Amino acid sequence: MRAALRFTLLAGLLLFGATAAKAAKDSCVECHRGLDEARLRAPTQGFSHDIHAERGLSCAACHGGDPADPEPSAMDPDKGFKGAPTRAQIAPLCASCHANVAFMKRYNPRPYVFSMGEWQTSVHAKLAAQGDAKVATCTSCHGVHGIRPPRDPASPVFKTNVPRTCAKCHNADYMKGHAIRTDQFALYAKSVHGVALLEKGDVSAPACNDCHGNHGAAPPGLKDVAMVCGTCHGREAELFAGSRMKSGMDALGKPGCVTCHGNHGVQQPTDAMLSAAAGGTCAGCHQPGSVAEQGTSAIVANFRELQGSLSTADSLLKLAEVRGMETGPGREGLKAAQDALVGVRAGLHSFDPKQIGAVLTEGAALSRKAMDYGREALRDWHNRRVGMALSLVVILILIGLVVAKIRQIEK
Amino acid sequence: MKRRTFLDVVIAASGAVLGAFVLYPIARYLVPPKSPEAATRRVVAAKQDEVPPGGFKIFPFGGEPGILIRGKDGAYRALSAVCTHLGCTVQLRPDGQSIWCACHNGFYDLEGRNVSGPPPRPLESYVVHVIDGDIVVEKAKSA
Amino acid sequence: MSASDWLRDRLGLEALDHVIEKKRVPVHRHTFWYYWGGMTLFLFGVQVGTGILLVLYYRPSADEAYESVRFLMTQVSFGWLIRSIHSWSGNLLVGAAMIHMFSAFMLKSYRRPREVTWLTGMALFVLCLAFGFSGYLLPWNQLAFFATKVGTDIMSSVPLVGPFLGRLLRGGDQITGGTLTRFFGFHVAILPLCMTALLGIHLFLVQWHGMSVPPGVEQDTAAPKREMKFVPAFLLRDLVGWLAALGALALLAALFPWELGLKADPYAFAPAGIKPEWYFGYMFQTLRMIPARVFGIEGELLGIVGFGLGALVWALVPFLDAPDGRGPRARVWNVIGVLAMVYVIIFTLLVYRGAGS
Repeated sequence: MRAALRFTLLAGLLLFGATAAKAAKDSCVECHRGLDEARLRAPTQGFSHDIHAERGLSCAACHGGDPADPEPSAMDPDKGFKGAPTRAQIAPLCASCHANVAFMKRYNPRPYVFSMGEWQTSVHAKLAAQGDAKVATCTSCHGVHGIRPPRDPASPVFKTNVPRTCAKCHNADYMKGHAIRTDQFALYAKSVHGVALLEKGDVSAPACNDCHGNHGAAPPGLKDVAMVCGTCHGREAELFAGSRMKSGMDALGKPGCVTCHGNHGVQQPTDAMLSAAAGGTCAGCHQPGSVAEQGTSAIVANFRELQGSLSTADSLLKLAEVRGMETGPGREGLKAAQDALVGVRAGLHSFDPKQIGAVLTEGAALSRKAMDYGREALRDWHNRRVGMALSLVVILILIGLVVAKIRQIEK
Repeated sequence: MKRRTFLDVVIAASGAVLGAFVLYPIARYLVPPKSPEAATRRVVAAKQDEVPPGGFKIFPFGGEPGILIRGKDGAYRALSAVCTHLGCTVQLRPDGQSIWCACHNGFYDLEGRNVSGPPPRPLESYVVHVIDGDIVVEKAKSA
Repeated sequence: MSASDWLRDRLGLEALDHVIEKKRVPVHRHTFWYYWGGMTLFLFGVQVGTGILLVLYYRPSADEAYESVRFLMTQVSFGWLIRSIHSWSGNLLVGAAMIHMFSAFMLKSYRRPREVTWLTGMALFVLCLAFGFSGYLLPWNQLAFFATKVGTDIMSSVPLVGPFLGRLLRGGDQITGGTLTRFFGFHVAILPLCMTALLGIHLFLVQWHGMSVPPGVEQDTAAPKREMKFVPAFLLRDLVGWLAALGALALLAALFPWELGLKADPYAFAPAGIKPEWYFGYMFQTLRMIPARVFGIEGELLGIVGFGLGALVWALVPFLDAPDGRGPRARVWNVIGVLAMVYVIIFTLLVYRGAGS
């Protein structure tokens, strides 16, 4: 049956392709465009920007029928007319072209070829197979009669529109009756990724599909979460993968990355997280004074010390600047020290005191150099005042002497 | 000729001291400083053989970090080390085949073109001259 | 034969004898004002000296000017001192020139035969302002860039010649690197040349005519005519003033170093509170306060024309005032002088109070 469907479609397409080449009239669009009933008129309205229409594929390509026939007899099942597909028929219908490599290559030498197999691994496909009528299918995300390609900023699946498209269903109202969390979009919109994508327009920030997949959308398995984050945060993932923390978390069945940073609502990490006291992230599992905390207390102490010395260097340089001294080279050194601090923050993910200690030492040295520069600038400032005072003394003495000379001459 | 009084001597001496206060800064000023010009268009990034083949060095250039790379064949390349994504300082991968930004896994090729990950633009290229044992990096002339 | 005799013989130093032996300066209650010409000259000398030193490191191109000044202030020994002295001395120079001009006006030193001395003096004052305006742009920082933009825009609105004058100054229709190079040329070559020529004439004339005595003192036949020798009495007193000025410059350079600011960015918004240098302040403030239209004429145009006419009248005062400096006409000019000073002082202060829009 599917093969017959496919054959009919192919035949219809070839026929239509031939007729389209002659820019023949499309009776479906012509007739439906002028109908009173809005539901029947609606499909023609998106056609001006529809990607299928641009490629010469019109109504008959999916619905069958005879586009050359101006009468309702065009909608004759004998002519291949199928009407609107049922929800369950949508995916196979779209796949009949999009999963066909040979067909897709006619339109693009490097096509995206839809994989039915991938689709069937998704939660959406699985629920649909169980008869769920509300779950997403192709048209839920891509639209139906005014489909824009994903690279078009007006497309619902353009990078910056993806979160809102997913949230059309993944919200508390639509998901009523389902045992699924519905706070993802709200959390994401306030997260560092959400702000980057939705507010700053940084398309390198991840949207839902970057972590969950597109057509094979499913939550990543516990073991896989770190891989997902590690796609972009490679250094941290690499260090974490080799750390004792990871093996500890695996034993407890806790997922990497998410346990400390969260997932949908991930925020910019703060240095206050690094503490086993109340309010710190480590306190989630570790007690203050525990063996684990003692093992890392030296790192934490040095880390805070580095931060302190950077802020001291910054204050010294600021003081020098306010006093009119130029601090360019000192500021450059401070930037290098701040770069080292970024390296330390990444290095923390190894939870290895020796490794982190090395980067900390380097950062501390750079910070000391910046502080020294600031101190020298302040010393210079002081010296200038001393020099000025001395020269003023000499000038005043000389003025006094000249006045005395004047008196002497005029005596 | 008037008699030289004590006052005259003292005035002459004070005048000489003031003269020294004026001439000393001028004399120091005329002596060129360590680097003869502001390091914003060109800078000495490294000494000959300071960077081994296959290695790299981050050097300060006009307030921003630059990266000096020495290929396995000994030739030098210099680029801006400021990642075009969010400004982290990039580095050369250990295999010496690509430039990498550790912050979000961005990759550039050795010409500075952004090839993978978040960076939206290539790294700015600089011109390298080897003069008298100094590796001198200069901003490229604008077209 | 001593060294000085040998030089005398060869350099014709006898000409100086007259000055050294014979030149006298009248002594009266207004003698204090006689020192201000020399003060202006001293400060100009400081400008030339520090300016020549700055030119050894400064680069007059938009790409490099700011960086070269920064380099000067951070890497060159005492570069900060030379630059701060140059900036402060420039301001003190204009101040001294104003005091010199106003005191010469009030003491009516412009009377016959010193009309040309007054006219050259006026030209020298305008040159000082031109030095200040052209020099201000050279560090190529935000404040200077936008202040120059405002200044050249105002100049371009002078009727008839304005737009051409603006293009001549700016080297085009916008402030660009070309403007910077041009201003540098004005500041270190063209203006110094004009200054040297005019100063030469001005100083020669002062020397030739001797010091003018104010009408009030002339009239006072009862009081004895006191004098002092130029060398050494007057010169030593000059020296006291110059030493005091030097001390003031050292104090200002060390306590209030001239800031570098931010590099000029033509595409950024103009920073808030741009003002020209204080010596243009009263004109700037006046233009800000004139309503947009007055009797159908554009306010700014009226202001510029007003200043032009005012300057012309001021310059022509030798020909407009009573020849002997006495009588009702002379009193009118006294009042005008006082009003002018009060106007300049108040409107300069208003700029810093942030009055007007």
